Amino acid sequence: MPQPVRLHLLFGLLAQLPFAAAAADYDFFVCANLNRNYVIGSKIVTTNGVYQRDAAGTWAHLGYNDTGISAVAFDPRDHHVIYTSALNGLWRSLDGGRHWRICNDWSMTEARDVAVDPNAPDHVYLALPDGIAVSTDRAQTIARRENGLPARGKYTQVLQVDRTRAGRVFAGCEVGVFLTEDGADHWRRVLPTQETVYDIQQSPHDPRHWLAATHAAGAWRSTDGGNTWEKITTAPSTNPLYNVTFDVTDPQRLALGSWALGVFTSEDGGRTWTDRNAGLPAAHHVWRVGVDPAGKLYASVAAETLFVSGDFGRTWQPDALAGSQVNKFLLLPRAAK
Amino acid sequence: MKPRSTAMTRVLFATALALLTALSGTAQPSFEAPPPSTAPVLDPAQRRADYLHRVDEVLDWAAGGGSAKTDDPAKLDLAMIAARLVRGRDLPGCSQRVIAMMQDPGTGPFWMFPSVCVAYLGRDRLSPAAQAAIRTAWRTTRQARGDTENHFVMYYISLYLMAELYPDEPAETWYSGRSSAENLAEARSFLIHWMDLTTTVGQGEFNPTHYIGEYAIPLLFLASWAKDPAMKVRGRLMLDWLFAELAASTLNGVLRGPNSRVDEGSVIERWQAMATYFSWLLFGNVPPTAGYSGWGLYFAPVARNYELPEVIYRIATDRLGDTVQRDRARVRRFWRYSDEDSPPVYKTNYLRRDYAVGSTRGGRIDPIQSHVWDVTWAEADPRGKHNTLFSLHPHAASEIIQASFVFYPEPMIKGVTFEGKPSYDSPDKVMGSSPYEQVFQDLDTVIALYDIPPGTRFPHINGFFAKDLADVTEDKSGWIFARAGRAFLAYRPLAGYHWETYRHYSSGWAKGPVELGGRLLTSPHLKNGTIVQAASADEFKDFAAFQAAITALPLSFRLDPVPTVTMTTLRGKKVTATYGQTPTVDGQPLDYTRWKLFEGPYLNAEVGGRKLTITHGRLERILDFNTLTSTDRVR
Repeated sequence: MPQPVRLHLLFGLLAQLPFAAAAADYDFFVCANLNRNYVIGSKIVTTNGVYQRDAAGTWAHLGYNDTGISAVAFDPRDHHVIYTSALNGLWRSLDGGRHWRICNDWSMTEARDVAVDPNAPDHVYLALPDGIAVSTDRAQTIARRENGLPARGKYTQVLQVDRTRAGRVFAGCEVGVFLTEDGADHWRRVLPTQETVYDIQQSPHDPRHWLAATHAAGAWRSTDGGNTWEKITTAPSTNPLYNVTFDVTDPQRLALGSWALGVFTSEDGGRTWTDRNAGLPAAHHVWRVGVDPAGKLYASVAAETLFVSGDFGRTWQPDALAGSQVNKFLLLPRAAK
Repeated sequence: MKPRSTAMTRVLFATALALLTALSGTAQPSFEAPPPSTAPVLDPAQRRADYLHRVDEVLDWAAGGGSAKTDDPAKLDLAMIAARLVRGRDLPGCSQRVIAMMQDPGTGPFWMFPSVCVAYLGRDRLSPAAQAAIRTAWRTTRQARGDTENHFVMYYISLYLMAELYPDEPAETWYSGRSSAENLAEARSFLIHWMDLTTTVGQGEFNPTHYIGEYAIPLLFLASWAKDPAMKVRGRLMLDWLFAELAASTLNGVLRGPNSRVDEGSVIERWQAMATYFSWLLFGNVPPTAGYSGWGLYFAPVARNYELPEVIYRIATDRLGDTVQRDRARVRRFWRYSDEDSPPVYKTNYLRRDYAVGSTRGGRIDPIQSHVWDVTWAEADPRGKHNTLFSLHPHAASEIIQASFVFYPEPMIKGVTFEGKPSYDSPDKVMGSSPYEQVFQDLDTVIALYDIPPGTRFPHINGFFAKDLADVTEDKSGWIFARAGRAFLAYRPLAGYHWETYRHYSSGWAKGPVELGGRLLTSPHLKNGTIVQAASADEFKDFAAFQAAITALPLSFRLDPVPTVTMTTLRGKKVTATYGQTPTVDGQPLDYTRWKLFEGPYLNAEVGGRKLTITHGRLERILDFNTLTSTDRVR
């Protein structure tokens, strides 16, 4: 076992304990692309990238203007250490976004997601269209770790680190959900799929509870820490589901985002689902849904703006970031600095 | 082809032209002038003088403000500034304009290489403040690397040269957050990797109609400005490699055969391509495109540094008879939904005096912009001429695009139409590959077969019949005959069809299609096929004789359970093509695995060899990336 993984096991065991979510303080971020129809060579005329929502409800831009940002992650010890996955690969800032460094070389491109292991925070995982790369030194160096991934089918859209144990990471790939329990030394498939897995989330209420959203197989749930998965048969599955989210304020509340289906929510832990598109613009093509620390539900609606709902989708109001495509909502326990 | 004018005549002509230009004050740009002679210039000095004259024409045009003919520094772009730097014209104005433009730099390779061009040309001509402004922009503005082969080449050559221009500078002075040495090392690593790939298994963006500039221009910069002698040689060798392939794929300066990446303009009007600009500049045998293709302006300021090897020039201008070139390339990377990462592409290009026939095997190539096969014909003046005949399945599917791109599925198709490819989701489009098309070619016979699964969007095939075809005749035999310049063409649809007006997207940003003439043969049958046979008019007594010869060819076909054709070609070969099976010629199955990287009378290279042998008559040049040498000899 890598040394940092062992060192942080204790912290992981502590994290397994159930906790009162509402008592925790969170920061809320989005990765937003505001340049519609940007192609390489076009002039970037808007500000894209990572935004943080403050207590007053204002979205503050954080760091660089990059049209290609797909995800953001922070060092849990110090939120001035920021990682973004983007068209060029992995970017890192050590000073809160003032200066950035590209961490990978030409062999890694079009990164889809980035994740930091909260129990081994020097470990950074990067999702790539042709696999997975890992850094064990805060992205000073990064290398592929794909043992156990198939030769074909390792397109990786999403990475999610289990907060209970260092080195335990889920990857949503073209042909299923893969799990490593040793910091990416080995991967094994725990949920086979025919097409891409778009999202994987761990419940903030019960760390054994996981959800996955897929291209062609609907939504899936695990209640044993991701070792086994069962399909949520009551969730819509006729079209690709782009993401799934928990509500940190209520363990029964879940939401799904989909281009074709819009927003669906559940308020009984996934037993029943309700179409929550009334009040959204007619086409309700949804890039992604997210829930902020206060339980407000957000939907990024294509060609429109960000929409927010204070009653979990029953009514909607337009919010900021007009014209944006939100690629990531990130709810992050607040750091000491 | 024999030279039609002596060297002396050409010298006199050039002198007279130069005199005329000087007297008139404003020369007529070649893109508006009568077409040049297609005869080769055999005198090396004259050939070089002609080349430099064309270079000067571009520089004068750009330095003069391009089509706007403006002297207002505020309206100059970086290409015009580059030309003015070479000309030494209004250098203070250039500096001011550079400073202003660097306040709002672009992001990505299409900004990087122009800024590199100006940075190098301006080393002793721009003010220190202007040079510093460029350098600052390379610190403050994040540069996107892009997601295609040409993006990466432009990006890394630009980064390489800027890192050499500003060595030993710390990480915080670069947008990448990496030091000059780190940037240089990464760029060098990629460029060697890319050259290795290209010289062993072929280019991904093979025979591009426009994107050739995105390779040629930065490679010229690398060959001109790299301090590392090895990288300088690599740049030069790759330029020769690129231009040798261009020369061998052109007929009278117009690029022929299949292409990895095209647009509608260069599909239907084959002259309308940046490749033509390079043919004009290098070979002088075709009119250039209007405005010298825009990006082409960046080649001219540095063009003096390149000397085209005679063997390449002769391949382009002095054909030694009919030629068949069989080459390999590769498909752009498939991230997903494919068993292979980058499958090989097998290309055939058959070139004759009057026409050319070219193809790949079909299937999935570039999902949006590839051009799989066609018959094209020579025109005395190719401008405005729609000189092509082909068919295709107009395929559009998110899964195919998802294979090559990392975006979500549903918005993808519509998104592509907003991103410079407006016809992608049009059932009447004439561009792109389909997984349900398989193509076989033997010399000037093409058999394209289609087996489109039920439920597929756009369940039909489109045959393009250009406005410049003459005497289009639908014969009761089922063949459709046409005259095409000095060629005769026969087109056999294998299923019923109707005619539709061709609607053209005149640019990547066109709001809608326009009618330029021409028709689409639309055949709404899932199991389908097209046979095309071409011949020179002078092979037959008349058009009727050609038709009689075609209808007399032994031909049988069926469409169920899969399309299959057996026929004897005009050249006497018995060929069989069955969808999903290996084609046979005179009973022998084609063995694509034995195809070389290049094989033909002019270009030859082994797969994995890193070495290209270029020959024309007794002339030979070997480009060897193993030893980083080029060797010339007269055999």
